[in-house]
Amino acid sequence: MIQIARHVVLLAAKDLRIEARGRQTVGLVIVLGILIIVVLGMGLGAGQPMSGFGASSILWVAYLFGGVLCFEKTMSVERHDDALSGLLLAPIDRSAIYASKLLTNLILMFSLALVVTPVAIILFRFDLSAHPLGFAFVMGAGMVGFAAVGTLFAAAVSSTRLQGGLLALLVFPLCLPVVVTSTQLMRMLFAEGGSLASGGVATLIAFDLMYLVASWLVFEQVLEP
Amino acid sequence: MTNRTTYATSIYWMITIMAFCATLAMLVFYTPVEATMGPVQKIFYIHLPVALCTFVAAFVVFIASIGYLWQRMMWWDDLAAAAGKVTVLFCGVLLATGIIWGRSAWGQWWTWSPRLTFSLILFLLYVVYLMIRPAIEAPQRRAVVSAVYGLAAFLDVPLVYLSVRLMPDIHPTSIALAPEMKITLLTWFVPVAMLMAGLIHARFRLNRATRSAEEQRRSEPRRVSNLAPNMGASL
Amino acid sequence: MTLALSSIEVPVASCVCATAAVSVRGLGKTIDDRDILDDLTFEVPEGSFVALLGANGAGKSSLLKILATLIPPSRGELQLFGAAVRSDATALRSRIGLIGHAPMLYRDLSALENLILFGRLYGVADPRQRAEQLLDYVELSHRASDSIKTFSRGMVQRAAIARALMHDPDLLLADEPFSGLDAPSANALERLLKRLHDEGRTIILANHDLSQSLAIAQRAIVLRRGRLVMDAPVGDLTQAEILAEVSAT
Repeated sequence: MIQIARHVVLLAAKDLRIEARGRQTVGLVIVLGILIIVVLGMGLGAGQPMSGFGASSILWVAYLFGGVLCFEKTMSVERHDDALSGLLLAPIDRSAIYASKLLTNLILMFSLALVVTPVAIILFRFDLSAHPLGFAFVMGAGMVGFAAVGTLFAAAVSSTRLQGGLLALLVFPLCLPVVVTSTQLMRMLFAEGGSLASGGVATLIAFDLMYLVASWLVFEQVLEP
Repeated sequence: MTNRTTYATSIYWMITIMAFCATLAMLVFYTPVEATMGPVQKIFYIHLPVALCTFVAAFVVFIASIGYLWQRMMWWDDLAAAAGKVTVLFCGVLLATGIIWGRSAWGQWWTWSPRLTFSLILFLLYVVYLMIRPAIEAPQRRAVVSAVYGLAAFLDVPLVYLSVRLMPDIHPTSIALAPEMKITLLTWFVPVAMLMAGLIHARFRLNRATRSAEEQRRSEPRRVSNLAPNMGASL
Repeated sequence: MTLALSSIEVPVASCVCATAAVSVRGLGKTIDDRDILDDLTFEVPEGSFVALLGANGAGKSSLLKILATLIPPSRGELQLFGAAVRSDATALRSRIGLIGHAPMLYRDLSALENLILFGRLYGVADPRQRAEQLLDYVELSHRASDSIKTFSRGMVQRAAIARALMHDPDLLLADEPFSGLDAPSANALERLLKRLHDEGRTIILANHDLSQSLAIAQRAIVLRRGRLVMDAPVGDLTQAEILAEVSAT
């Protein structure tokens, strides 16, 4: 187990080092996220401050599109020069490859969230003062499930022609439960003054756990070069 | 197809059509009209069996997907593709009947009620399953991606159900069924289930035949067009 | 240049090879309902140098990928060093090195970073020292800190060879390693392969250059449309005979 954890950290560090050199993915993803927020802002033209429900819906649009781009880019690193085969040749547990990709994707997505969320709060005048931690928890938990699904399917489609377009098509419908649950939880928290102790949190956590386990088990199947 | 298989298939479809005719007749002449909603309420007798058969078809996709990932034999993929098409068809009918019901009951074509939203998401999940298949050229890669998605989509179904239950249900529906209504409802399961099974079977056979023809075409030596008669002598 | 590529020098004459490095029985691989490989049965004793020959599409690359445990066979038995791949693949990988068509390196990392990464994954004791030694051996020390994407084709191939040797594998699989190399680099690689073989490693080389392969290998295995059609010591056959088998349809 410790050996697997060591390999996970080693591979994630490799991905982040490559990303730090190029700065392509995180830059692209943040700019895309902000563009989406701005377009939605112009479209919705909200004059009133928006509640948590509206905030989470708008942010999810930015996270979904930005996230898909993240997943595609982190996986494409392995397809250049068949680097993935180099990893598959090594005497390591192949689930470590999945875990390292997931970790990298989560770090990049949280970087996206760190920039895009304050921008959206300012542009839309989101009022999260009632439950800021609840908001952070729900969006964070949703992101984990989204990244679990996205990492798996990014590996599945990275060798196909369409890649990014296909990835969005696969991931969005599967992640709808996360989007629905987190937006409804926000509605309960902010509009109805409820608390987080509800079945919605259990659904989010069930989604996360189920996809983490399923992806862990199935990942090796999609890796065959 | 052998003669015996063709004969058996024909008999099966004749029985299915007769079952539909019988249950339709039952719906029109036997089942009483519901007091509140009127004749449109009778859509319910189609809606519920179609809902159940949608889940059964989706379950077949799930099992076939696991089967492919486990054994890597293409007939599992053919079965999953067949069941996927039937899932989309039945889910489309489920959504349509739900919309018609909603229009009649609440005066609106669409509301974001949990049930309708659930049908919509289910429909989208499996439409995507059909769309990814032609997007991937290599048969084995297509089969792997489809199998992983087919597995994930079915695991998603209970989560979709739990998530939409959080949505406000401004139009809760509960119907008290008279005994004749219950009998009609149970009877409708028969032709709908037969239709589902028959369609999956027919589609599966078609997929297998298409794949065999494709393999045969790939393994045949390429024919050179006929040369002029006296060219052979000079070569 | 001299480099002890393994800590123990094994004189060829005293090598007693009780276990086959590779033992294949009824091996087959089906992709998209097509038999890429079918009913292959052969053994490669430890310390052998085998030339794997065949026309394009014969199945050489697929066979090497299966031997490297990159892809599983569809049927049949495969044993490496007496252990079944089906149950012991992860452990066996530490004894196998593959030089493939693609370099299997990260283009945005430097040559040194790539080698250290793979060294750590293979559990090499001092990956940095070993990486520096290998880069010196393949004459890339002066470019150790430059990213792979700045390398020429020949330099990339040399870096890939260094990667394959990081963990000092007992079985080296090489799939067209000479492609894209200029004459001096190709000669250096040939000498390297001979030296690695002299040190007791088992080598299986897939190469379209028949005369080059037969000059360095001891044995020839010829594939045609996924089937084994010839398996004989190089000394027993003339080049013309082997060429006839490779070219036959």
